Amino acid sequence: MGEQLAKLWRKISWSWSPGSERESSEAIVRNLWLHWFPAKITRAAMSWNYSLWLGTAAASLFFILTVTGVMLMFFYVPSTERAYGSIKDLQYAVSFGRVLRNQHRWAAEGMVAVVFLHMARVFFTGAYRGTRAANWLVGVGLLLATLLLSFTGYLLPWDQLAFWAVTVGTNIAREAPVVGGTMRFLLLGGTQIDQQTLLRFYVLHVFFLPAVLWVMFAYHMWRVRKDGGLGAVEAIKADRRMAPKPMPATKSYSLFGLTPGTSVQVMSSTELEAEDQVVSSPNLTRRIVLVFLIVFNATLLASIFFNAPLEEAANPAVTPNPAKAPWYFVWLQELVASTTVHIGPLTISGGFLGGILLPGVLLVLLAVWPWLDRSPLSAEGRWFPSSRKTQNRVFVVAMIAIVLLIVVGVFLRGPNWRIYWPGMPRPQAPTVL
Amino acid sequence: MSAADKKNVPPTDTERRRVLRLLGKGSVVAAFAAQIGAAARAFFPNVLYEPPTKFKLKRPEEYPPGFTFDAAHRLFVVREEDAFHVISAVCTHLGCTVQWRENEFDCPCHGSRFRPNGSVISGPAPRPLSWFDTRLSPDGFLEVDSAVDVAPGFRFVPPKGQA
Ligand code: HEM
Ligand code: FES
Repeated sequence: MGEQLAKLWRKISWSWSPGSERESSEAIVRNLWLHWFPAKITRAAMSWNYSLWLGTAAASLFFILTVTGVMLMFFYVPSTERAYGSIKDLQYAVSFGRVLRNQHRWAAEGMVAVVFLHMARVFFTGAYRGTRAANWLVGVGLLLATLLLSFTGYLLPWDQLAFWAVTVGTNIAREAPVVGGTMRFLLLGGTQIDQQTLLRFYVLHVFFLPAVLWVMFAYHMWRVRKDGGLGAVEAIKADRRMAPKPMPATKSYSLFGLTPGTSVQVMSSTELEAEDQVVSSPNLTRRIVLVFLIVFNATLLASIFFNAPLEEAANPAVTPNPAKAPWYFVWLQELVASTTVHIGPLTISGGFLGGILLPGVLLVLLAVWPWLDRSPLSAEGRWFPSSRKTQNRVFVVAMIAIVLLIVVGVFLRGPNWRIYWPGMPRPQAPTVL
Repeated sequence: MSAADKKNVPPTDTERRRVLRLLGKGSVVAAFAAQIGAAARAFFPNVLYEPPTKFKLKRPEEYPPGFTFDAAHRLFVVREEDAFHVISAVCTHLGCTVQWRENEFDCPCHGSRFRPNGSVISGPAPRPLSWFDTRLSPDGFLEVDSAVDVAPGFRFVPPKGQA
């Protein structure tokens, strides 16, 4: 009996400190949870400085969101009459319900930030050229799915913030040419934000979008392997090609020295030396657990000390003043607020220019960037190479513009969307009439 | 018939078989496409549980002079002496509810400002606030149709004795 259990346990677990390389690679190949990892991983890809482990941090946040989200589903009722009350219950009546809700909220906002930073890392290290261009495109899809998850989740508490953010958001959708009206009708399940809207957003948020994101994430990881590991590997290979080969020291080395071209090893590692790599179990597995624990504890600490916002219950009659979108959408709100133009008798709404056209152009640019980029392939896998100065400048300028708009929107905008510099008194805007 | 035998049967009626195969495959594809179309169509509701666009407000005589906000319908009833008109409180930019401030409407979302007649003073709103068609219901209430816009300057004067 004990023997049987031990056998079973060995099937679903693995050794964290394997005695040999063979034991290590068997753990990877045989284990369901590990089989998507390579048996060996390049030291350069393991470096903290190269990837900053932001992709893994994003994946950790998504995992936390999935688990806390499913727990929230046991308490939340997607009905206009009871949604707000069920969130209040979580805050005040359910043991640790507040921490649960906080953790879901802070992990969500953290994920938007971390995914964005991960994208910036990939850009600055030029790791989206050649074979990696496809994965960049998958990444753009992941970014979109992350933002849509945030947007749909935002409506669920059915408070003032939720109601007005979604009012503005779906009216922006209406500004899209030709299909705009239909799109909004479909999204709302009618012409007003009501029960149908809440139900649609709920299903999108708890099932459809997470499922899409999980599938895209799996493909993202599969592509990382098919592309021969991280871009940093490319840099190592380039260095190896430049450097003269050291005298072979061991038998296997001489074998490598004698047989140029493809070896029995994985194709991508032909130009790598044994010392460039470490076994994935336990090096990679331990690292992933470490990153997950750091991220988990950060969100938990934030959830203990800071409460997720909840305003009054949704009230279509009174718009809070100022009515702000969540910080990661505030830059879009700034754009829609300031891009209405008048050309003679013709007026183009900021909802279209700033809400559809400009973000649309940005998104398309982001998606096709790998094919526009003409920097040398040798720049791949290194931070800020001098041959990529122009590219990096363009990206930094765009990022600074977005961050500035966010700062203005979050900190300076007061009642009636006017600018209030720090220290300026803000008039108390009446919230009821 | 074994697999080897089949291979040796000369293909007769080739053309007929090709058409039949095409029909077979085509009908499967068509059925599948129709099913997807039907599923998509289901997401466009046929019945909306939304309040009607035509509704009754209070009796004309119950409104004081000036601007009165009706929260339930998101509009302002404006009374000048015995004349009435109704202006929408929905900002034409992205749909927030505007507020009446002394002498103008202010939108809290992106700062659009409107004159008392609904025209735009400043801000991103692309159009003036809507004016709604207003009349008297048979039983003596102000009646508004928010689906029917009227030109600014419209006035409704209830028959004598009603206001
Ligand atoms: C849900 C969001 C995302 C998750 C969970 C995720 C996850 C990951 C992970 C775990 C890696 C391995 C390297 C690392 O940790 O940095 C990676 C690499 C990569 N990601 Fe993402 N990612 C996401 C979004 C994005 C976005 C928005 C982009 C770009 C538009 C992107 C493009 C890439 C590319 C091109 C690589 C390969 C980088 C290299 O070879 O150095 N990903 N991703
Ligand atoms: S919704 Fe009124 S200014 Fe944008």
